[in-house]
Amino acid sequence: MGRLLLIIIVLFSATVSSAATPLHVEAELVSEVQTIKAGQPFWVALRMRMLPHWHTYWVNPGDSGLPTKIEWRLPEGFRAGSIQWPAPEKIDTPPLVAFGYSGEVFLLTEITPSTELEAGKPFTISAKADWLVCREECIPETAQLLLTLNSSDTPPLADPKWESAFRKTRLRLPASLPDWNLTASLAGDSILLTFRKPPDFRGSLSNIIFYSEVPGIIDYNTPQRLTETEQGFTLQLKRSEYSTDMPKEIRGVLVNPTGWDSEHISMSILAPISTASALATTVPPASGSIWLALALAFLGGVILNLMPCVLPVLSIKILDFVKQAGESRAWKHGLMFTLGVLVSFWLLAATLLLLRAGGEELGWGFQLQSPTFLVILSHVLFLLGLNLFGVFEMGTSLMGAGSSIGRSGWFSSFMSGALATIVATPCTGPFMGSALGFAMTQPAWSSMFIFTSLAMGMASPYLLLSSIPGLMRYIPRPGAWMESFKQFMGFLMMATVVWLAWVLGVQLGIDATAGLLAGFVVASLAAWVYGRWGNLAQTTLTRRIALAIAFTLSAIGLTISLYATYGSTAQNGIEWQAYSPELISRLQTEGRPVFIDFTAAWCLSCQVNERITFSSDEVKKELKRRNVVTVKADWTSRDEKITKALAEFGRNGVPLYVIYSGRPGDSPRVLPEVITPSILLEELRKL
Amino acid sequence: MRKTILLTVMLLIAVVSACYPTVDASSAVLGKPAPAFSLKDSNGKVHNLADFKGKYVVLEWVNYDCPFVKKHYDSGNMQKLQKEFTAKGVVWLSINSSAPGKQGNFPADKVNALIKEKNAAPTAYLFDTDGTVGKTYGAKTTPHMYIINPKGELIYMGGIDDKPSTDKADIAGARNHVRAALEEAMAGKAVSVSASQPYGCSVKY
Repeated sequence: MGRLLLIIIVLFSATVSSAATPLHVEAELVSEVQTIKAGQPFWVALRMRMLPHWHTYWVNPGDSGLPTKIEWRLPEGFRAGSIQWPAPEKIDTPPLVAFGYSGEVFLLTEITPSTELEAGKPFTISAKADWLVCREECIPETAQLLLTLNSSDTPPLADPKWESAFRKTRLRLPASLPDWNLTASLAGDSILLTFRKPPDFRGSLSNIIFYSEVPGIIDYNTPQRLTETEQGFTLQLKRSEYSTDMPKEIRGVLVNPTGWDSEHISMSILAPISTASALATTVPPASGSIWLALALAFLGGVILNLMPCVLPVLSIKILDFVKQAGESRAWKHGLMFTLGVLVSFWLLAATLLLLRAGGEELGWGFQLQSPTFLVILSHVLFLLGLNLFGVFEMGTSLMGAGSSIGRSGWFSSFMSGALATIVATPCTGPFMGSALGFAMTQPAWSSMFIFTSLAMGMASPYLLLSSIPGLMRYIPRPGAWMESFKQFMGFLMMATVVWLAWVLGVQLGIDATAGLLAGFVVASLAAWVYGRWGNLAQTTLTRRIALAIAFTLSAIGLTISLYATYGSTAQNGIEWQAYSPELISRLQTEGRPVFIDFTAAWCLSCQVNERITFSSDEVKKELKRRNVVTVKADWTSRDEKITKALAEFGRNGVPLYVIYSGRPGDSPRVLPEVITPSILLEELRKL
Repeated sequence: MRKTILLTVMLLIAVVSACYPTVDASSAVLGKPAPAFSLKDSNGKVHNLADFKGKYVVLEWVNYDCPFVKKHYDSGNMQKLQKEFTAKGVVWLSINSSAPGKQGNFPADKVNALIKEKNAAPTAYLFDTDGTVGKTYGAKTTPHMYIINPKGELIYMGGIDDKPSTDKADIAGARNHVRAALEEAMAGKAVSVSASQPYGCSVKY
């Protein structure tokens, strides 16, 4: 009574393989309940067991393959839902990636029986399942499956045989987790998933992967980069080269192998993709209204002058104007300055348009995405800041007040226009976002017009000031206030530098920022040498030597900062797990070899060891080959558990390197405090 | 001021150079010149893509043992397409990128026998045994189709049609993207679907 009747009829597919070929998948229909009741939905599953090394596919198969399909034939009045797909595995066969299942999988479907169901009768559910099963080669297979269940008046009871399989499968089904506040946006050729950690989340996010349910939206081969920003976390997905239309929404699952909470590893995602830049505060102009875009660009350009990154540079220009006041040729300087702004805007716009024509999707400020550019720009701004503070003077420009302004003077007006443009690029003023957004949708020539309008807007106050001598009367007379003003502007400049250092830190981490700051120390030494011995009070020889030393030092400073940006990517490729005693004991019971790095940010020898040892490709390869779990015990902040672990090894400080072989009965091996790639390799080979 | 000028010039150069990606001429991008290649065919003759300038060229990634490829050959769909368009002067290159020892890697005489048996009509069957051309084009599946116009630009890449399956019965109701793209382009119209997600077996690199 109430026993599950299970009949499986399997038909061999003869489309490809000969009929004698055995199936590579054992398939059957199983039910979660023993009996069914009128109108009460219940769950069935297509249980698939693949031969070793063979796999079937997820709803989106990836670069190749085909999802499993089920066609239901149900008794009258019954309805079937769609397949609930558990989180897939990533099947890597470089350069291709597929998503699917190996071993065993249960594909769950909800069935709703008719509301008028006579009790005590058998009902047969029939399904035709089609799947593609692949190892290297692929074979399409088909099976006709039947499942007969008895109806009953009593509430359905779970079938103990399949209860745990259904429960385990549900852990891998996508769950709606609104606490994470996930949103999607388009940025160039990337789709960004942005989300926030709920306050009670204590887990790790280091191995999360997004799987798109819709094929052809994202590129599966490009690593998905997770960065922490002020809005939370951002996962960068590259758009597929096969998605020629702008995707409107993103649908899929975000899988965290270590869990989003205690129950779920798979988060279901269905989010519209917003294209609006966060910086565009005004309503974008309606398409076709190029005049409005031009006007907005001009206005945006004028306002750009007040942005904190431009203000200091332009204030220097204002000081020049003050000195040139009353001079007949002042308007020429205004013109040269405008020309400088224009030419550099054109250069920027041309680069931008050229890159976009080449398929890159870039926007305003695109150059700041390059760490190299960030480092160079922040060094220039830092030196300018020191100059404003008066650590050193450049040439004689601020001393011999406008006595003989020749061609080189005009050139310097031109160049200060160019400089103003470059420092302006990190900033976006009001109105600019929408004007530039519009520019990017237009043909090249009208984009150029919009950029020109922006440049004219930015240069207009100076052009106006220099060409109408009458206006000059309202500008204060030159005097000692100029020096104080200049020095004050130095602080604004330094604030910009701090901001750029933060951006670099977000991109590449704290090491890159530290490298940048170390470079600043050397650069400021250069500035001091030049200011102390390179001034006009010294002899020509002293000045030349000072200039040479200053130049060398600033080059060294820049090199240090740049080197740090390269260095901070060198350690990629090792996946570190955060230390916990539970993790170690679990890994030991699993028999996995473990390497623990007890370290701290403030421990210099730890940092040196890590730099030298973990950047070695051989070490990375050996760790991977031996399937070693790398665990980092970060003691930068106080941590009771790590302190205790250190004590267990008879230490009360870092560095400490420990290897567990994973073989039962083996005691952990403690490595020397100074490790090199060869020491670590030797230890790994003993495993 | 000199130093500022120097730094500004350096910075301007840096803007342009640091942000310029290394322009990769050797990848398949729609509307751009298709990457050049030169491969040996099943009769020992070397074909260079540049030789076909002035003609439409279809590249078909093939693996006769793949069920998706079989769908289109057993039904005669692929042969029909090959005959119809080679008769109109289109160059049809079937390319195999299976590595030695992997599925679909056959010696030349076996290939010629298979072509005869299937009554296939490509202009040539090319061997890309080391997978260089396949990887350059980003060929993911068999079949995976590319169309190059007489100017040598890529005008279509992706699946053969819009019904990803191994079922021959699906061919009748499917939109054949290759036929549509060739017909549109030859009539001087813009290609309405210039890319679609390819489907099939993985290329056996």
